[in-house]
Amino acid sequence: MSYEKKLLAMKKMVKKKTTTAPKPAYKKPQPPVYSDAWENVGLKRIDNDFGTVFVREVHYGFDYVHGAYPLGAFTEALETWQQHEHPIALTDDQPIVFYDTETTGLKGTGTHIFLNGLLTFEAHEFVLKQYVLADPSHEAAFLFESRFWQGKKTVLTYNGKSFDWPQLQMRWTFHRDVLPPLQTPHHIDLMHSAKRIWKQELARMKLSEIERHKLGFVRDGDVPGYLAPVIYLDAVRTGETDALLKVLTHNEYDLLSLVTLYVQETKLLTEGVREESAKAYTNIGKWYKDLKASDESLELLRDVTHLYDVDEAAEASFYKGYLLKKRGEFQQAYDCFLLCTPYVNERQRLEAYTELAKLCEHQLHDIEAALRYTEKAIVETKKSICYKEAAKEKRINALTHRHVRLKNKNVL
Amino acid sequence: MNLKPTLAEWIADFTTSEARKNIEHIEIMPATNGVYSPLPSDLHPKLASALLSRGITQLYSHQAEAYHHAMHQQSFTAVTPTASGKSLCYHLPVLQTILTNPSSRALYLFPTKALAQDQKNAVNDLIEAIDVPILSYTYDGDTAPGIRTKVRKAGHIVMTNPDMLHAAILPHHTKWVSLFENLDYIVIDELHTYKGVFGSHVAHVLRRLKRICHYYGSNPTFICTSATIKNPQQLASALTNEPQQLIAKSGAPTGQKTFLFYNPPVIHPTFGVRRSAILEVKDIAKKLYEAKIQTIVFAKSRVRVEMLVTYLKSLTAKKINDQSIRGYRGGYLPSERRAIEKGLRDGTIQTVVSTNALELGVDIGQLQACIMTGYPGNIASAWQQAGRAGRRQDDALVIYVGQSTALDQYLMKHPHYLFNRSPEEARIFPENVLILMDHLKCAAFELPFHEGDAYAEFDVADFLDYFVEEQVLLKTSDTWHWMADSFPAHDISLRSASQENVVIIDQTIPTKTHVIGEMDRYSAMTLLHEEAIYLHQGTQFQVEKLDWEEKKAYVTEVDVDYFTDANLAVELKVMSEDKERVVDGLTIDYGDVMTLATATIFKKIRFNTHDNIGSGPITLPPEELHTSSTWLSFEAPSNWSEDDLSSAMTGVAYAMNSFIPLYIQSDRSDVHVIPQVKATHNGKPTFFVYDRYPGGIGLSERVYDLWEPLLDRVYEHVDGCSCQHGCPSCIGAQDLEEGGKKQVKKFLETVLLRG
Repeated sequence: MSYEKKLLAMKKMVKKKTTTAPKPAYKKPQPPVYSDAWENVGLKRIDNDFGTVFVREVHYGFDYVHGAYPLGAFTEALETWQQHEHPIALTDDQPIVFYDTETTGLKGTGTHIFLNGLLTFEAHEFVLKQYVLADPSHEAAFLFESRFWQGKKTVLTYNGKSFDWPQLQMRWTFHRDVLPPLQTPHHIDLMHSAKRIWKQELARMKLSEIERHKLGFVRDGDVPGYLAPVIYLDAVRTGETDALLKVLTHNEYDLLSLVTLYVQETKLLTEGVREESAKAYTNIGKWYKDLKASDESLELLRDVTHLYDVDEAAEASFYKGYLLKKRGEFQQAYDCFLLCTPYVNERQRLEAYTELAKLCEHQLHDIEAALRYTEKAIVETKKSICYKEAAKEKRINALTHRHVRLKNKNVL
Repeated sequence: MNLKPTLAEWIADFTTSEARKNIEHIEIMPATNGVYSPLPSDLHPKLASALLSRGITQLYSHQAEAYHHAMHQQSFTAVTPTASGKSLCYHLPVLQTILTNPSSRALYLFPTKALAQDQKNAVNDLIEAIDVPILSYTYDGDTAPGIRTKVRKAGHIVMTNPDMLHAAILPHHTKWVSLFENLDYIVIDELHTYKGVFGSHVAHVLRRLKRICHYYGSNPTFICTSATIKNPQQLASALTNEPQQLIAKSGAPTGQKTFLFYNPPVIHPTFGVRRSAILEVKDIAKKLYEAKIQTIVFAKSRVRVEMLVTYLKSLTAKKINDQSIRGYRGGYLPSERRAIEKGLRDGTIQTVVSTNALELGVDIGQLQACIMTGYPGNIASAWQQAGRAGRRQDDALVIYVGQSTALDQYLMKHPHYLFNRSPEEARIFPENVLILMDHLKCAAFELPFHEGDAYAEFDVADFLDYFVEEQVLLKTSDTWHWMADSFPAHDISLRSASQENVVIIDQTIPTKTHVIGEMDRYSAMTLLHEEAIYLHQGTQFQVEKLDWEEKKAYVTEVDVDYFTDANLAVELKVMSEDKERVVDGLTIDYGDVMTLATATIFKKIRFNTHDNIGSGPITLPPEELHTSSTWLSFEAPSNWSEDDLSSAMTGVAYAMNSFIPLYIQSDRSDVHVIPQVKATHNGKPTFFVYDRYPGGIGLSERVYDLWEPLLDRVYEHVDGCSCQHGCPSCIGAQDLEEGGKKQVKKFLETVLLRG
């Protein structure tokens, strides 16, 4: 066919450019002009195979007090976890590093990490190493010093699962030709646990808020985190370090607070009811319940209901109801659900009525009562504002269905 | 008994009815046979058997050609009419390559999300028949966060749109390493839509894409498909910055197509005023609806779409919940559009009224008839719209209903212009310095620039140094790094001149306010001002409040018998003169201008009668525009009063505005002509033609060389127009006593066309 001939002719005509030439070998960048100035304010200069990086190093004894705790309390926390199981449980069989970054922006490949703060737990002390990016051309050197390519580590962060670590992975990708591969650490994000514990108690989950309210630490003259980008940009344009050092202090506070936050969370999770609010202990009890650790959960929730007023402990009572029901202690479960209804929120109250109806129908064999609770649930669901229209309708249908069945049973 | 007439019967009826006297021309385009070629011999057996299972035993010639180019890594552009099996042009080589190398990747770009969705379903059917785990996904705003990681790491075929590529993929390229390292093909579907400002933006997005591919060591082949335009190969090369092969001939067979040129009757002979095209379209669409002929009606603006939907829905007003007549245009929410597309495919929707959103290849199955309300502005679009009728080999009917505009009336009298002339060229202008700088910022954000690096065809060292001064880049010894806490892609929208859209909020029920659509800023000035009637799916809303700062328009549902139409006043200042030539005492310049557009007043116009029943002022801040322009100036003729000159020039500008689209593929709204009796910069009578985009997009530069034929064409048309004193078809409506048309002709003869 003619088009085939044409194609053959064309094929000769066109030659695409060959694939790209091999990448040139890594060229080590020159140290920045402000190197001396930075050294003069106490930053140590490191020159490795990839370039220059600056570091600030601080050692803290275990008796160093940060807010409510000495840092040494961390060793006790580790001991505690030898007897318990939990997602935030830690052992020291691999190096433990608290990690926090400061970046030039929030997202995208144009965002640089300019400060890698690593606070390492050692045999007799904590060692802080804050690596500062000398300038963006020295990024490989900067990343290399973090040692995250070396051996298995446990990393503790605050919101690091969705921010700091992905940022590090992104920056690492740029240098994957020259750097050893980034290891995947055992990563514990203390923001997740803080959220579980203080949900609905603290309005914001900013680390500085938790410090103030829960860790007994108040920052003095702290630069707000959102200024960090501008300050670094200024530092590399002018060599100016005053403000940069304040960012380092900010980062240092963050890291020290991570240690005491871990200690505090450990205590709350393992010591039973002490000084915290009923809300926090209830949250913890609920967390254990979700983890299917029903013994721990029940013990804690029981203590809450014993030690706090009925209104404060209502939610604990509500969760306790489920646990008791599961254990076959139906009358006790019934009491729990009944006790909580005046105080829990709308959604929980409606669920409690449903549970009461179920218990009465199937376990306690009181159809009259079951009918009463079902009717109550229907009336209240119709008035409720916590569900979307579709969900509401679905619930009302299910309840009505139950109601019809109970009616039939009652006749028999 | 089936009373439903066949299409042929309907055509026979219609062309012998009363309507015959309004039909200016009938063109019958005979059916054509296909040109076929056997399946390629090297085709993977599983792919071959998948094709066989779908009844494909041979390829159209253009598909075979495409396969050949693609398998030899030659970028190419295939010009494919509607329903010619264009998607196999890219699916075949892409699937073949993935079958032989499972790590291979392909990126498909569609101008809209809807098109990507459509193709995903199509390619997944094919993949299912192949029975090999090839993963194809769409990646857009609707993609669930849960599967995004999977798409990034494992998607063999990723289907997306330029906006998503620009703002979500390229600035996060480190998450897409496996795609960029193994990218063998980039498919650009509907190439012809990438023109003008949008095309210029996309050209840069593709340059950034190539830069990142290069960084990761891949060198993908471009596969483009385009509707018929004058310069597909040139457009593709400009867009991709890559030499392109051309496949110009389709091997697909076509059915017989009947093309009717329908000119609404003259209802006022003195003024040359014809009955409104929209009313005629309404009547014809009604006849087709009653004959149960599935029809698509094209209207040029959103407002007209909504008006037609309103008119036509009265046909079904008595049926409960009848969905057989629907509108379809930009500004609808995705779910709404998806439902309409489905209704068209399964036949529950019988008549759809659309803006050019449906020119694109959304798969809506077979429609039998197409009505065009007015000339869509260029030949390429006209054929695209006409192609909507009679997909595959069935007979089809196209009715082109002329409006009173100069261009429409010209075509009514010269139908062969449409059939014989090659379609317009589509131009892009990546050199626009603002667009270039915007994307250069994005490129610098994505990857640092090293000294000696070019950005595509541009030498950019000076720009990068400028960005250093602006404190967005930092230069270390030989490298420019992004050093700012902003995210440049978010500040740049590919789609419209203004960077923010106005969100339209329905507050009819105060407790249930919700967003019903959005609109670009420029259009919002004249369509969403306070008291404007905004139409959405045939429902009228009145704009209660336009919060210009926050870019929000609050609307309430109303039921009124009028629509609104607003005026835009433009001031103009010359900033610099770059080129000049003199012909017969006329001075023609090209350079930079500053314009100031102000929405001034709006009119309320009654439905059906189109009477003006009221007006009001619009108070919005003027929009400033720095752009390129070409202008023609001349000595004021001594024997003309300023008033006469002014009205003659206004008439000429009116006609000129209409004829510019004949030369360059642009919408009327992309360029604008304004006359000034005493231009501020030289005190002489001057016509300005300027690009309506900051920095210009090369349209007026093109007109700079085209002034003479443009003026000839204007004269020819005004002279040939059948009206006596000037009409909307030539120089715009005139007052009776003025003798405007004579003036305009005299002006053209004695002043502009002396030579």
